[in-house]
Amino acid sequence: MTVHHDLLTIAGTSFQSRLMLGTGKFPDLHVMRDVLEASGTEIVTVAIRRVELGAPGHVGLLDALDLDRYQLLPNTAGCRTAEEAVRVARLARAATGVSWIKLEVIPDARWLLPDPVGTLSAARTLVDDGFTVLPYMQPDAVLARALEEAGCATVMPLASPIGSGRGLRTGELLRTVLDGAGVPVVVDAGLGVPSDAAQAMEAGADAVLVNTAIAEARDPVAMARAFALGVQAGRLAFLAGRMTEREHASPSSPAAGVPRLPDPEMPDLTGPVHTPV
Amino acid sequence: MQVNGQPHPHRPGLTLHALLRELDVRPERVAVAVNDDFYPGARVPDRPLEPRDTIEIVRIIGGG
Repeated sequence: MTVHHDLLTIAGTSFQSRLMLGTGKFPDLHVMRDVLEASGTEIVTVAIRRVELGAPGHVGLLDALDLDRYQLLPNTAGCRTAEEAVRVARLARAATGVSWIKLEVIPDARWLLPDPVGTLSAARTLVDDGFTVLPYMQPDAVLARALEEAGCATVMPLASPIGSGRGLRTGELLRTVLDGAGVPVVVDAGLGVPSDAAQAMEAGADAVLVNTAIAEARDPVAMARAFALGVQAGRLAFLAGRMTEREHASPSSPAAGVPRLPDPEMPDLTGPVHTPV
Repeated sequence: MQVNGQPHPHRPGLTLHALLRELDVRPERVAVAVNDDFYPGARVPDRPLEPRDTIEIVRIIGGG
């Protein structure tokens, strides 16, 4: 199977790339555009903020994005309650014409950990309102099933805290989310290097979402390409099926027939018997 | 009247179109909410505004 024909399907829409990208923290729109191009991404997250009324005329991000090329995924970042998130989702739909929403309900500013109760509550409301809901969540299998039953299009468990670059610290919990998942599982937040993305994909994640690791790289465009390769490598490895781990070493070369020198410590039982001097 | 979280003077006969002009906001590529009604910028109605209305004017920015 080639990666090319191995499509990611979310809510009936198929994508060749399994790397979603955020658009925050980039130094300018040109770098961001080059990053999106180099990454091969097809799904791009954006945020919703109040227009600064004191400084009108700002060039909007929407002008820099080719909406025919990318599936826009507005988020509800910054929302602390289900009610705020539902309101921002409706504003996002009005602003973009897109009904996909990356649902974030995050009351905690230090760790940016999502509120599971508020997330589920907002997800139910938004699904009823016709949204395609992709909820950010702690890697919790019970919550993941509840979000699926609520009609969410994916679940998005975190690898480690948002923007931390600490990598896949929730691997064992991620396994429980992946086990029996009925919707695509997108590992979101905390990935720092392409090997983190590969690790998530090797574990069976359907996609990953990256922002800070690319935006804050010394060379964001090169890092975007590296993440694309990491995601592809991890996905191919998952499809190929990893070997079983062993407790001890197992030689790859045959154990028998090795040409050996005589060992002075050991009697050579195969040769002629030596007479003592 | 609240506009983007700030108190804003209301005058009789004020409409949403007039408010946006007053604030020098071009409606394209923004979204506007008046209380619980949500409008794409390009289809903002010229509705009359009331002193107790809460108005949000938002746009898309970079985010993850």
